[in-house]
Amino acid sequence: MGVDTKKLRNRIKSVDSTLHLTTAMGLVASSKIRKAMEAMLKSREYAGMIEKVVQNLANSKECAKSPYMEQRGEGKTCIIVIAGDRGLAGGYNSNVFRLAKQYPDAEFIAVGKRACDIFGGEYNAEYFSFEQASALSKKLCSEFSEGSIDRVGIISTEYISMMSQEARISWILPLVRSEETDDMTGIIFEPDELSVLNTAVPLYVAGMIVAHVRESFISEVAARRCAMDSAGKNAKQMIDDLQLAYNRARQSAITQEITEIVAGSGM
Amino acid sequence: MNTFVLTISSPDGNIFQGEAVKLSVRGIEGDLAVMAGHIPFITAVKDCDCKIELSDGTEKKGHTSGGLLNVAKDSVILLSDCFNW
Repeated sequence: MGVDTKKLRNRIKSVDSTLHLTTAMGLVASSKIRKAMEAMLKSREYAGMIEKVVQNLANSKECAKSPYMEQRGEGKTCIIVIAGDRGLAGGYNSNVFRLAKQYPDAEFIAVGKRACDIFGGEYNAEYFSFEQASALSKKLCSEFSEGSIDRVGIISTEYISMMSQEARISWILPLVRSEETDDMTGIIFEPDELSVLNTAVPLYVAGMIVAHVRESFISEVAARRCAMDSAGKNAKQMIDDLQLAYNRARQSAITQEITEIVAGSGM
Repeated sequence: MNTFVLTISSPDGNIFQGEAVKLSVRGIEGDLAVMAGHIPFITAVKDCDCKIELSDGTEKKGHTSGGLLNVAKDSVILLSDCFNW
């Protein structure tokens, strides 16, 4: 008795407090899901609309002269890395950083505290505002048109479902022509295609950044809920096993004590 | 009065979606108003006050900090980076 059961009791207690922690974090994540989902859908709506306009403009002949259409290859790369503000979200953050490692020469702009710890910066993922995105987009667009960067990408996490999220990279600048295009004949551009495109691109880049941040945030929350669910399950299993071992140790200690008493009494 | 479907979209979601009679904004080339049956066109919008005339005769006023106006055959979309009523 004594030492062994005491150790086991302490372990049960510590696993139990971990279980409480994982349950609480899981609940916090669940409560954030609905809001995060709404924010993602809203930003996706806006990004979808502006993407359509920009894509149609990019396919027009006049816009081929735009600096945003210049394909300069894999020169100086600037990548916005979107990770979480906190850990304990399974492989969420590490998947993003693993993907970022594939671009060793790139200049990184971090969004989310975890990413900021590695790459520097101060953008928060949960409270990332459109004003911040707008300022970032203006800076990137002017650097791109000046030629100091050759391509701009975003590393974010795609939200596939509550159970699965995937880190991916999407290139937003330079613009590429797509095969699909709406019929643009008869549409007037004021003053002309090129100036409309040049005004639309910073809006488009900002819209894309916000949409990716919102999508990454819901992925983070979903990943955390899944991770906390399975951590909770494991903790429960561990407590069960420890409880069994504790009961056995206690029982054997009692049996031993009885044996000792019986032996001592000389019966 | 003929009406058209107006959508005002910002990164915080659709601010307005519904039937409107007239939309007045300040385009990059000057003030403009869109009514039903307007020729399809796209222009950049400056930081300005917007006026929307609804089908019941009421007028709504808002402010956009710039954006893009996309007038299609059957709908008008104002993509605003920040819109307040």
